[in-house]
Order: sequence, then structure tokens, then C-alpha cells
Amino acid sequence: MVLVARNLSKHYTMGASVVRALDDVSLTVAEGEFVGLLGTSGSGKSTLLNLIAGLDQATAGELLVFGDDLAKMSSETLSRHRQKNVGIIFQSFNLISTMTAAENVALSMMFAGVPRAERERSASDLLTAVGLGGRQTHRPKELSGGEQQRVAIARALSNTPRLLLADEPTGNLDSRTSKEIMALLKDLNERDGKTVIMVTHDADLAKRYAHRIITMLDGKVLSEVTA
Amino acid sequence: MIISDTLRLALGNVRQSKLRTFLTTMGVSIGIASLAGMVSLGVGLQDQFVGRFMQAGVFDAITVSSGNNGGLPALLGGRGRGRGRAGRGGRAGNPPVEGAAPETARPEPPALDEAAMTAIKGLPNVKDVFPNIRVPLQMHLGEFEELGTAMGVPMSAKDEGAFRTMSAGAFFANDTDDSCLLSLDMAKRINETDPKSLVGRTLTLSYTASTATPGAPAPTPMPTMPGMPNLGALLQMKRVDRTYRIAGVVEREPGAGLGGFGFANVMIPLSKAMEIDGQVVRSAQALLTEAPTKTKTYTSVTVKVTKAQFTEDVEDKIKGLGFQAFSINDALQGAKRAFIILDLVLSLIGSIALAVSSLGIMNTMVMSILERTREIGVMKAIGASDSDIRRIFLVEASAIGVLGGVAGIILGWVVGRAINFGANIYIVRQGGEAGNLFSLPWWLIAGALAFSWLVSLVAGSYPANRAAKLNPIQALRHD
Ligand SMILES: Nc1ncnc2c1ncn2[C@@H]1O[C@H](COP(=O)(O)OP(=O)(O)OP(=O)(O)O)[C@@H](O)[C@H]1O
Ligand SMILES: [Mg+2]
Repeated sequence: MVLVARNLSKHYTMGASVVRALDDVSLTVAEGEFVGLLGTSGSGKSTLLNLIAGLDQATAGELLVFGDDLAKMSSETLSRHRQKNVGIIFQSFNLISTMTAAENVALSMMFAGVPRAERERSASDLLTAVGLGGRQTHRPKELSGGEQQRVAIARALSNTPRLLLADEPTGNLDSRTSKEIMALLKDLNERDGKTVIMVTHDADLAKRYAHRIITMLDGKVLSEVTA
Repeated sequence: MIISDTLRLALGNVRQSKLRTFLTTMGVSIGIASLAGMVSLGVGLQDQFVGRFMQAGVFDAITVSSGNNGGLPALLGGRGRGRGRAGRGGRAGNPPVEGAAPETARPEPPALDEAAMTAIKGLPNVKDVFPNIRVPLQMHLGEFEELGTAMGVPMSAKDEGAFRTMSAGAFFANDTDDSCLLSLDMAKRINETDPKSLVGRTLTLSYTASTATPGAPAPTPMPTMPGMPNLGALLQMKRVDRTYRIAGVVEREPGAGLGGFGFANVMIPLSKAMEIDGQVVRSAQALLTEAPTKTKTYTSVTVKVTKAQFTEDVEDKIKGLGFQAFSINDALQGAKRAFIILDLVLSLIGSIALAVSSLGIMNTMVMSILERTREIGVMKAIGASDSDIRRIFLVEASAIGVLGGVAGIILGWVVGRAINFGANIYIVRQGGEAGNLFSLPWWLIAGALAFSWLVSLVAGSYPANRAAKLNPIQALRHD
């Protein structure tokens, strides 16, 4: 199993009130799956994704990613988990504006300790693979939204993770560009066997690409539908 | 993460905000310049002080006197003859010379004669040994006439003490030259208005000599009887006039005079002084009590060591030979302590500016991190560890610190030069000697660089830690 969550909770205490961002969530994701996470705003989709990414710690429950309990990891091990096990794709791309496309892709390899020549070669290959072969030295400002998201996907792939986490990857894109990005993710899932967990607001999009759709409400899993 | 990549990222950050980095760096450089400048001033002043003494030939000089004399005979001047020499048995009934303290029952100390000088010269690290000779004589030049003492000065004194900088004229051409040096005081007594014009004129030195001096066979040696005054010698007294060309005029330096080459109103080459010393009659009594053939002994001799650091060691060895030895090294320990305190006070003053500039580094780093909060979040999300982030910002702070250090040393040097230039104009106008008030030795450069780096690390560690501990999710929400 790529992912096993048992009775996972994430609570935020705001003074007297407690916000249950995640409330007793249990689910599993198998290798090679394409999972769509649907739900209204504030239902806890991003919270769940951040926990899987190891960017945040659960309040209660168990979360195993590739068999390892994230709750038991030190911050150092968690950073290695983010480096090697998962690739994260954001709605707002989150590229570093002062770096070129190639430098952005190479950055996570830099943290992984990959030597310069090797990561430059990899970055170039990855950019070519996402269809940006000719835009290596362009900075984010000089790229369209779709192109920026391609760079972000290339960066997410750079340390060859088996799990891709995408938080509304097409949220900032028009429908045509969205389709291109979705096609790219589908390709990665089908051709390279990457497991994909994608948060989206778009139920149609989820139905078209995901093998399984998990719908959340108020921090709980409302329904699981396999396509 | 590879260290070169950490550097690459950090220096990239520095380049991103050139103006802010420049301003902070300037702040650090002013701090480092003021600190380095203050320490440099302390070191420079100490060098000047110690250097003066060094050049005065003080640190590397030991004054040696024969064992039964407590005090500083060389400084008191004068020269006793044949005190307590073993083998002078024949004259035991005679009173000792020149009212010296009565001989005690203590074992006879070794005589300070040529043999002793050779022995001392044979000690390791001894550069030179020469007797301190002062001879009483009468000087005249035209109307001027005065009784005084002339001192023998070795040729090796040429580059030391007051002789380095002659007020007028030059040092003796050689040891056998019939030339003399006058003290500025003396020269002024002769010619109040223009003492320097005396150079090249002739000074007549007169003394009373016994014709029965060793080496010069007495024309008619009178038979002497044990216990009886040498009346023959009395009869062989004569007045000797010698003419000396005034080669130069020297001003007494402050700090000179203790140990080293002494200072007198008239200075003549050492060999000349020894020659006169061999002939001069100091008093009738001395003449009466001394055998003309007696081995020559000295009241005191000066020993020069090759390096000041050997002074103590050589001093001990000379004491081991049974002589009294004295050097000024011990007296200067107190002065060195005073300089350490001065250095501390100066560095404290200099540190204030550096403390302020370290706050500048901290502020810049806090700003830099605030600006990059989202970037830090991204880096963490794609796999940067806390320590990666901490190191990136520590290197960024270090870059500011080291750049500031380099600029500060340059700035400190330039300002130091400028102050030195101005101060020396003033010093020279006041009749002083120009010197380096600011000294910038390599250890100060290295120390200033290391210190600026250290300060930047300390100042950068709080912001860097804050960056490392940033919650990535919150950082990603930041804009
Ligand atoms: N740091 C926080 N402090 C307090 N409450 C928080 C915090 N982070 C998230 N929440 C709350 O947790 C709940 C779930 O948030 P989450 O971001 O997971 O929603 P989401 O499903 O991703 O919504 P959206 O579709 O709008 O992105 C929300 O009610 C949110 O206000
Ligand atoms: Mg969300």
C-alpha cells in the first residue's frame, strides 16, 4: 500500500473553539492509483494532503506512507520523505521567481545532494519531457500559467517519487490548459506508474481522470466512489 | 545538501538585494574599521614606545659590574681601578681605592677585566661586550672652558639610541678617529645661538697623565718600596692636550641613558677613551696606590645580546660567573601591563560600533527572511531540511560579515593612514619624531576578519534559526 490512514484527525484549537480540519479519517491508496479528492471549501482536503506530504503532523490517528509511520519521523526524516517519496504540485505553482525553469527543477535535487552536472542534465530532460525543452533559462515571469505548472510538475518528478500530491493543480488555469496538465498527470500515472492523489473542486475533471473519487465534508470522508 | 550548493544559494540571495547588502556591509565595515583602528592604535603606540627603547639599545643591554658592588655603577659613572684584585698581596696595608666600601671577609668576587670580558663574550647569544669608560678631563674651545667627563662609545652604537638621529654632523668615521660628539646641551653651552655650527670645529681635551703608564716605558723608573707611596710616578705626571674634531651633535633621547649606550656631554670613540683611561691620573691618591703594571679592570661593562628575548638568560649566566648584572627588561613589565589595559579599553570603544553593526546584520537577515518566507516554505516542501535552511542564512550572514570585514580593514587602514599623516605633521612640528601610530600586523587583519565573521554568525544565528523553524504550510500561505 502506498498510503494507509487510520482514524486520522487534525484539530486546530482557536481559543475555546476547536476546528476539526480532519476528523477520524480512514482510507487506503494502492500503488498506481489515481485518486481524486473532492469536497467543499474548508472540508479538509488540503489538510489531508499536507499530512501525507509530511508538511504537518496529525493530532491523532495513524498515517503510513510506503509503510512508514509519519508520526514517528523526526523533522530531518520528514524532509527526506518530502524529498524522495512524494512530489508536490500546488495550485499557485510556487516556483522561485529569481530562478530559471531549469534551476527550479534542479532545486529539489540540490537538497537531495545530487551533484551539479547530474541535476542540470536531469532538469533539462525533465523539462523536455513536460514539453518545455526550449524554455530552460526562462524565469517564471516569462512563462504562462500552464507552462509554470509544467515546470512545477517537472520539479515534483525530479527526485523520482512514486507518489504525486497535487492540490488543485488546475485551479489557476483555463479549461484548455487544465486539460493539458491533466493529460500530463494521466500520462505520468499510466505510463510511469506514479500514484496520484489530486485535490480538485471540479467533479467532472475528477470523474474523467480519477480511478476513485473520495468526497469530504467537514473533515470527514463523505463518500468513496470507484470509477 | 552539498556545501558548495549552500554557498550558491546564499550568495544568490546576497546578490538579489544588492543595496541592502551593501548598506549592511558598510555598517559592518565601519564597526570593524573602528575596532581594528583602535587595536591598531594600541599596537602602534606600544610599538612606538617599545621601539624607542629598543632603538635606545635598552632591551638588549645588560650592565655588568664586579660582584661586590650593589647598585648600578655604570649609571653612576666613574670608574674604579683595581678594586680588590687577588694577587695584590704586597699592598695589603694600603687603604682601598677612592673611598670604596671597605673590603669584607666575603670571598673575593672575580675581577671584571679583559679575561672576564672574553668569558662573557663567549656566552651564547652575546653580541658584544665593551667596557663603560668615562674619563675626567678639561675641555676648551676658544673662550669656553669646562671640567667634565668624556665617555667612550663603541662603533656599534652608531645605529642605536640617540646616535641614529644626530642633531647635526655624523657619527665617528672609525674607532681610531680623533673626533668627538657633543651633547646638544653641551653644544648650547659653547654656542647658545647656533650649536650646530660647532660641527667641524676643534675641541681640546686636556688631562693629567702619568708618564709611567703601562706600555709606555717610564723614562726613569724610581725604585718603589712596598707600603711606600710611588713618588716616582708623582714626579712623572704631565698635562696632555689632545685635539678632537667635533664630528656631530647629539640630542639625548627620552628613555635613553638607562643601560645601553650611555650618554655624556662629550663622547669619543671607545678605543680613544681606553687609551686616555690608561694614562689619566684621577687623583694623587690613586696614583700613589696603583702599580702601573697592574692588570686593567673595569667598574662596569655593557653586554649586548643578539636578541632582547635572550636578555634574561644571559643575565642569569653572567650572575653565575659571579658578577652583578642588571637589565631594564624587568622594569618594563609594568609598562607592558599598562599597554594591555590600554588595548582593552581601545577595543571596548571600537566594539561599540561593531555591536551596532551586528544589530544591522540581524535586522538585514530578519528582513531577508521575512521577504523570503514563501520561498523558504517552497524549499521545505520540496525537501529542504531545517539545517539546510539554517545554513543558507548563516552563510548569507557570513558573506555580509566577511565582506564587511574586508571593507572594514581597508577603511580602517585608509583612515589610520590619514590620521597618522596628520598626527605626524603635528608631532614633527612639535619637534618629535614621525612614526607609525597605527600598526596593522597580519594577525590583526586575520583577527578582524575572523571576528567580523564570528559577529555575523552570532547576529545571523537568531534569524537563521527562525527561518529553519518556519512552519512550511504557514510559510507557503505567506505573501
Ligand atoms: N492553521 C490553521 N489554523 C486554524 N484552522 C485551520 C488552519 N488550517 C486550516 N484550518 C481550517 O481547517 C479546515 C480545513 O482546511 P483545508 O485547507 O484543509 O480546506 P480545503 O478543503 O483545502 O479547502 P479549499 O477547497 O478552500 O482549499 C478549514 O476550516 C480551515 O479553516
Ligand atoms: Mg485547499
